Amino acid sequence: MKKYSKQLGLVLFILAYGLASYWVFTRSTPVIYQRPVTIRFAHWQIERGPPDGIAAAIKRYEELHPRVRVVQLLIPGGTIYRQWMRANLAGDTGPDIMEWGSWLDGQKDIPARYFAPLTSELAQPNPYNRGTSQEHVLWQDTFHDKLLAPRRDSPDPGQIYAVNIAETTLRLFCNIELLRQATGSVTAPKTFDDLRQILARIQAYGRRTELPITGIAGSRDNARAIAEPLFSGTLLGVSQRIDDSGILYLHNRQVLAAYLEGKWNYSDPAVKAGLQVVREVTQSMKPGFFQLRRDDAMLEFLRGESVFFFYGTWDATSLARQATFKIVPMQLPQVMPDDPEVGRYVIGPAGEGIGETSMAMYLNKTSAHPAEALDFLQFLTSVPGNQLFTDHSGWLPSVNGVDVPVEIRGFRDYRKGYALGQAPYNVIGSEVTMQWDRHFHYLIGDQGSADKYAAALDQYMPAAIRADLQSEMRNSLLLVKPQDAMIQGWAGRAAEAPGDALPRARQHELEMGQTMSEGLALQMKRVLELTAEKK
Amino acid sequence: MLTAAASASPGLDQAWTALVNSRPKDVLRVLDHDRTSRPERLAWAVAQMSVQPATDDNMRSAESVFTELAGGDDEIAAEAAYLQARLYQLHYAQPDYAKAAELYQALAARRPESHWAQLGLVKLAMLKLYVLPDTTVAGADLLAPAEALLTQIHEPLLQRDLHLQIGQAGIELKQPLKRLLPHLVAADRVGGISGTAHEDLIVQIGVLSLRAGLPAQAKDYFERYLAEYPDNVRAWTIKRQLADAEQQLKAEDSR
Repeated sequence: MKKYSKQLGLVLFILAYGLASYWVFTRSTPVIYQRPVTIRFAHWQIERGPPDGIAAAIKRYEELHPRVRVVQLLIPGGTIYRQWMRANLAGDTGPDIMEWGSWLDGQKDIPARYFAPLTSELAQPNPYNRGTSQEHVLWQDTFHDKLLAPRRDSPDPGQIYAVNIAETTLRLFCNIELLRQATGSVTAPKTFDDLRQILARIQAYGRRTELPITGIAGSRDNARAIAEPLFSGTLLGVSQRIDDSGILYLHNRQVLAAYLEGKWNYSDPAVKAGLQVVREVTQSMKPGFFQLRRDDAMLEFLRGESVFFFYGTWDATSLARQATFKIVPMQLPQVMPDDPEVGRYVIGPAGEGIGETSMAMYLNKTSAHPAEALDFLQFLTSVPGNQLFTDHSGWLPSVNGVDVPVEIRGFRDYRKGYALGQAPYNVIGSEVTMQWDRHFHYLIGDQGSADKYAAALDQYMPAAIRADLQSEMRNSLLLVKPQDAMIQGWAGRAAEAPGDALPRARQHELEMGQTMSEGLALQMKRVLELTAEKK
Repeated sequence: MLTAAASASPGLDQAWTALVNSRPKDVLRVLDHDRTSRPERLAWAVAQMSVQPATDDNMRSAESVFTELAGGDDEIAAEAAYLQARLYQLHYAQPDYAKAAELYQALAARRPESHWAQLGLVKLAMLKLYVLPDTTVAGADLLAPAEALLTQIHEPLLQRDLHLQIGQAGIELKQPLKRLLPHLVAADRVGGISGTAHEDLIVQIGVLSLRAGLPAQAKDYFERYLAEYPDNVRAWTIKRQLADAEQQLKAEDSR
């Protein structure tokens, strides 16, 4: 019996070897079927939820398109995404579709250098919306906010470079049981002064019980996140004051230029009042929080050591899946004109419009398969594609016509009010953000104060702001120079095909965008030269 | 515009597509040995101008081709002359705005109806607004030189682009609102402005009109904004500004 089984094994081995040799020498394709087109789709949303949502959309897309394979690349955002993105794009090995955000330090030049505009395609209906409520709607108008951020963050004011997949906002996530224990109430704060009182009671509770309980889970990321809406409150009036162009919404380049022109500074009483508010909330984070990151703060909250966790709704799915206690998302109350401490510097509420779609995906202009990559983006941001994303991620959809699950509908409860602009004055450029972080210790702790911090910022910011405005100008020129060749390319194609209106339309579209960007670059150059002379 | 249709070669076709896709190296490869026609030489020089790393040697080599082509008497000559001016304005490591302006002017004098001469006039006007202002006359009207060039532009889309630039420069150069607003309105009337620039322009005309004491015009633009962008983040403020405009109109009526 043993002898036969040995022989059988040998026969099976020879048979398998023979089959493998036959395959290798007669077929050039691998055993597993490879699709002819592979699209790589990179993003940093590695929280719980989005990878599942995108995987569900990919699965359906691959069923519809057997030629195409879509590979989802999950690259950690907090640590390596920026370096990974830069290295791959510079080496011409970048993925076909990738996420980018205007707040990524030192990455402002990326869209102008590496991404292709989607303006013309966005001005047509999305073919995947056939048979839905969005069938006849232009692709750009199917987005809940009509792509506010991609328009605003475009390096070229006449072009749109990205489409957004989700919609996010900021929320104060509350461990409701801990709130009850610490304060005896579960009522959400309605005003900023209510929040002040609650945070004071939590601090007193921690002292009284000697439990390591803090008001707000702390880290550098969470401090930045909570600083932005609070700091904005007192900046609304400043923004209105310096809005010479009358657009009621300042772009970063305008805020930077206004600083260099002496129209505002960090010691301005209204700006300093904003710093004071930031100090108040960060005082309720644990000591040393500025050395920690978002994940540390989330763990602090999940361990039940802090009552609130303030961050984006992009963390809602992670929190819901990991917490052992009930979490209630609340709106962060704003500072308003009736605030007893800083109300006199506030002109009214800061508005959120109808919210902002996010998770901006860009098309690499050197993609080997631009048509398929664009097609996948259209599917992902169609009603059926975005529905799959929402259902499997627990994130708000970016597209109208998608059913929003009941449990996240509250995330679309937005405030009406004045528009500030592209960003609060702490994140108007990479160098500015760096200086803000580097000197943040002047604001916090027993020795810190808004006065000390404002003085430090006004000492170091002029050089940082100049560098950021120079960088904005360089980015405009980065966009403008290669457009000369692209315009010639479209003109050449238009001449070859006089009956085809598209090349001529593209040529004129590019000429318009280029002229606008050139105008902005010349304005920035002028401010830089005028203010340099003053020095 | 470009008179290449009759002589289009497969290589030229590929070259234009490669330029559209920002692949100048492909153009240089495709046209490396075969660039006998004028369009092929133009495409090659454009690629040379945009290939990385951008060096002054590359620019000089592109310029020698542009100079040679500009001596002709066809649309390619105008295109090449325009690109030669662009080299001095933007592409050489050290810009020479005066030389660029001189080249734009010469092109406009030689072939005033060419699209490239017309586009060159837009660029020339921007140089005059920001980097080559007329400083010989004290208190000179800073917008007037650009407005003079505007009269030479006949293509509506380029008129629009220059109107918009004059309006924006007027704000930057702190010109009276009533002086610059007609340019912004003219740009809007031609239409076709896309992206955030369109939204900004509608708000801008409304707000600046209100500041300039033109409440009727402000009201029109605010109403248009609210119709086009009813939920956008600026709508809340614009509703208040619209109320201000209506109040001013009522006050005017009651006078």
